[in-house]
Amino acid sequence: MKQTLMGNEAIAYGLLHANTQMISGYPGTPSSEILTTFEKISKNLPVYAKWATNEKVGFEVAYAGAIAGLNTAVTMKQVGLNVASDALMSASFIGNKGGFVLIVADDPGFHSSQTEQDSREFARFARIPVLDPATPAEAYEFAIKASELSQKFGIPVMLRSVMRVSHSREIVEVKDFNFEEKKGSFKRDIPRWAAVPRAGRLGQAYEREKKLKEIAKYSYENFIKPEIEKLKGTKNLIISSGAAFGYVKETLDELGLDIDVLKIDMPYPLPLDELKSLIKHYEKVLIIEETYPVIEEELRSENVYGKMSGDVHTIDEMTKERVLKALKNVGFYKGENIYKPAFENNFEVISRKPNLCSGCPHRDIFFAIKKVFRPKKSIYPSDIGCYTLGINQQAIDTVLCMGASVSMAHGFSIADNKKTVIATIGDSTFFHSGVAPLINAVYQKAKFILVILDNSTVAMTGRQATPERAAPGEVDLKKVVEGCGAEVMEYCYEPDIKKTIEFFKEVKKRYEEVEVPLVVISRQFCVLDKERAKENLKGVFATVDEEKCVACDVCTTQFVCPPMAYNEKGKIEIDPLLCVGCGVCISGICPTDAFIRRDK
Amino acid sequence: MKYQILIAGFGGQGVVFLVKVLSICAAKKGYKFLGTENHGMSQRGGSVSSHIKIGNFYNPLIDYGQADLLIGLDRDEAILNLPYLKKGGDLVVNASDFPKLEANEYIVDANQLAEDGLFDAKGLNVFMLGTVLKNVKNFPFSVEEIKEAIKEINPKFAKSNFEILEKALNYERN
Ligand code: SF4
Ligand code: SF4
Repeated sequence: MKQTLMGNEAIAYGLLHANTQMISGYPGTPSSEILTTFEKISKNLPVYAKWATNEKVGFEVAYAGAIAGLNTAVTMKQVGLNVASDALMSASFIGNKGGFVLIVADDPGFHSSQTEQDSREFARFARIPVLDPATPAEAYEFAIKASELSQKFGIPVMLRSVMRVSHSREIVEVKDFNFEEKKGSFKRDIPRWAAVPRAGRLGQAYEREKKLKEIAKYSYENFIKPEIEKLKGTKNLIISSGAAFGYVKETLDELGLDIDVLKIDMPYPLPLDELKSLIKHYEKVLIIEETYPVIEEELRSENVYGKMSGDVHTIDEMTKERVLKALKNVGFYKGENIYKPAFENNFEVISRKPNLCSGCPHRDIFFAIKKVFRPKKSIYPSDIGCYTLGINQQAIDTVLCMGASVSMAHGFSIADNKKTVIATIGDSTFFHSGVAPLINAVYQKAKFILVILDNSTVAMTGRQATPERAAPGEVDLKKVVEGCGAEVMEYCYEPDIKKTIEFFKEVKKRYEEVEVPLVVISRQFCVLDKERAKENLKGVFATVDEEKCVACDVCTTQFVCPPMAYNEKGKIEIDPLLCVGCGVCISGICPTDAFIRRDK
Repeated sequence: MKYQILIAGFGGQGVVFLVKVLSICAAKKGYKFLGTENHGMSQRGGSVSSHIKIGNFYNPLIDYGQADLLIGLDRDEAILNLPYLKKGGDLVVNASDFPKLEANEYIVDANQLAEDGLFDAKGLNVFMLGTVLKNVKNFPFSVEEIKEAIKEINPKFAKSNFEILEKALNYERN
């Protein structure tokens, strides 16, 4: 049946089609909808589809399933793979029985990530095959293929997507299929599943080398050879893969250039002999891939051009203009740049920065922290999630990676002990990677404050459930923190800035007395969380008394709620369409009390 | 046929909903298409621009000087995305004023109209789509087709969305 699907939805259909019975992962843009969709479309089937506390955990749960013979998958974004990489490196030696698909969504162009890494590089590093789809329809096909290949060769197979595949829409022909329930059964095989160095692993390493050769051969026969047969034998050749192929194809069409293009569906492992002999027949070969020069590094030779020769851009997302420039650089094209803007854009406007939602409680916490723990005397490590946007309030000094706020707070407390270190982290991020560093900090008697902003949802990626939310009363954040041995203070958020500030004054007092990390659990809600937001947003809408506004900048630099902006008269004005009526600004953020209640 | 639409706005304005509507319309008509949208950071009130390319395309991103139609849910965001519009293209923008360009411009102050109570501000995206339907000559979809797509996405809100659509279709500037 034809369906209009987003790339991530298409992948979910592909997985189900491939009889995937277990899927795990950790949410992260641009990957999150894969698991959510799978959950939805497999509702009445005997499958396991659940979020894990982090990517490594998710990987291992799903991998065990594949060892026991089921077809399984794990999903994550590219930075999540860093977390799961420990497990991946070993799994690649050991292999699997059922199909095991590792789905990673990359983010060329840094749309919502701290790095722009290319997961194909990780596949090469771990020595596992990787498939690189170009569009949602292909993502569907490749998800099925990945599972089949993984079964056939008994090795994890990566399905690497990018934001422009994961978050694109296209018509996808979803084939009919019958889901067959399999019973998992683990067959004891200690030398394989529990191979220890050196004897066991060494053998597996040789075996893997052999497998990779076979896979490269398979890739040649099934993916590459049919494509080579279609080539016309022009003077030059372009090699491309994944989403990059789409840009290349369109650019050539639009420039009217007739150059052979070879699309590589499996960028690793490559059949090197065959490709190298193909390359010899061409005068110049240009390799266009996103993001790193993975294929290029493998195929390096004198007539090969690309990122390494300086002819293709190396950072940021692909555009057709960039493809055109590369074509120019290597002399494939000599004409005009047809991708120039038609209009001179010399109008001055500023692009909108992302910001915490109107009414988001994180904003109040940051505001209060800065009021009580003054910036000059404090260090504010923070973490990955919506609250990273506290950067707009200048309430965040460092952002590294998931969970690092806790370990970095520890480090800062040693390195710069004249300052108070007050770190912030979300509940999901804490469960993901914050627990281990907290244990570390407790037994080493580090002294800092950690504020866990607990809104019981993974808000940034679309409000997936956290452990506490999914199993109320079972996983208890407070008990976890206490169990780690830290001191705990709990705050039940109220939309009243004075109360929040009062609370942090108490935190400051208590901090003087303790000898271990002091953890604040701030119980909040997310305004996008319909279940809880309603009771928390009181419907107190704000406006500004222009007489009282003295343009002191406090609200626009310290509080930064989206509706607030200066008007032509140099006074603050509130955009009524953006105000959600939390009433916090009226409760005392303005030194001259210029915010007042608006009668509807 | 080849037709490229860029929708510009900021997080929370319902850009993604419009991409969905247009993709479904294209699919129903049997047109090949590719559309793309931003999720994540940009949704938190930040700039969001989504592209949809109808016809024989292979990648979802529109390049400079290529868009047939630019729908701006916000004035500044429309300006930021002007480089994508082609000369003589169509431009439908929610703004009280807009620079005069070599393009077919349809400017409507939808924010003001929402504030005046003509429609619920949450339906701004649908109102702008109605404005497109009313003013853009070679827009590839009809009112009926758009309605069907809206209904397919969410039958529950279809009725209120249709009302907003009608308001846009009947709206006459004075
Ligand atoms: S999504 Fe939720 S947690 Fe994130 S900024 Fe908005 S209200 Fe805050
Ligand atoms: S009441 Fe004030 S703080 Fe709350 S959303 Fe409106 S402007 Fe922002």
